[in-house]
Amino acid sequence: MFKKFSSEEVSAQNQVKASVQRKIRQSIAEEYPGLEPVLDELLPKKSALVVAKCQNHLNLVLVNDVPLFFNIRDGPYMPTLRLLHQYPNIMKKFQVDRGAIKFVLAGANIMCPGLTSPGGALDEEVEAETPVAIMAEGKQHALAIGFTKMSAKDIKSINKGIGVDNMHYLNDGLWKMERLN
Amino acid sequence: MAEKPQPVRVLYCGVCSMPAEYCEFGPDFEKCKPWLIHNAPDLYPDLIKQSNANEADKVTEQLQSTGMSSDGATPSAPKQEEVKRLPGGKIKKKEKQEVVIEKVIRNKRKCITTVKGLELFGVKLSDASKKLGKKFATGASVVKGPTEKEQIDVQGDISYDIVEFITDTWPDVPDTAIFFIEDGRKVPAA
Ligand SMILES: [Zn+2]
Repeated sequence: MFKKFSSEEVSAQNQVKASVQRKIRQSIAEEYPGLEPVLDELLPKKSALVVAKCQNHLNLVLVNDVPLFFNIRDGPYMPTLRLLHQYPNIMKKFQVDRGAIKFVLAGANIMCPGLTSPGGALDEEVEAETPVAIMAEGKQHALAIGFTKMSAKDIKSINKGIGVDNMHYLNDGLWKMERLN
Repeated sequence: MAEKPQPVRVLYCGVCSMPAEYCEFGPDFEKCKPWLIHNAPDLYPDLIKQSNANEADKVTEQLQSTGMSSDGATPSAPKQEEVKRLPGGKIKKKEKQEVVIEKVIRNKRKCITTVKGLELFGVKLSDASKKLGKKFATGASVVKGPTEKEQIDVQGDISYDIVEFITDTWPDVPDTAIFFIEDGRKVPAA
């Protein structure tokens, strides 16, 4: 989604009303309970949340010009990879095998066999349509943020086709946008 | 309230901006190498070895071109007779003809066996990978190793039967040229 993303695709950038800010904070707190202790620092009540509306119904949540979360329409908020790297345990994790790394970094969606091979790993509790951190065999940090198309159990049993949509990956347009000016 | 998590500090590459451990998959690993040698030597130990040996002049060249100082990485003079320039200015180290087999444990009980160096005996890796997969009834694939060289990854621990299979299938490979990596040490298979 962020393959060719750049600031040109931001169509409107608005400081949001207090009520909307509260709602965004609340959904993020619910989705990522692990972030709760640092949420006041990440999304300070005093500094304004800015929501940048982009093409394809994509919204970016920014604080001080730094993109922290994104979502599509009113889907679940997902952290940017830079934020996830800082707090790696806030999301459920899937792991792709080494062979899949280059495809993920080229923006490809994640195929089931890359998760079920000996180098891959699944968190069995994950349901369909859930944001997950995509880790890689032999690597410490996440390389992508994914959104599951199937549950972990189905990925394992069906073991064919796309298991997880690749939402955001290292070196894509969002990664390169450390700040939005 | 839960205890406040401390943010993890990730080492990002100064060249490609990804976490340094992913540079090998980045847009231009060659350009990252000088930075990695200075800033992330633990992640790519092979780079240090290479830079200390034959690729010395190439690395120094790159250090200069990226405006980095080369102190700390002043390598010994390269042995000219072992260095061969390939078209495009790449330097290729003349490699010792040997096959190196290593068992790598992944995720607790899962493991793979890596086979490096078959190509030095004129074996086509894609073909070898198919044969290995068939023989051991498992998955085998040709992958780029950490040093950008291709190797074969075979799923499962097949290290004990593999020597015989290699010498039977490719008679050009003598068993004296096959080595195992055990506890980080290279031991002859024969
Ligand atoms: Zn790099």
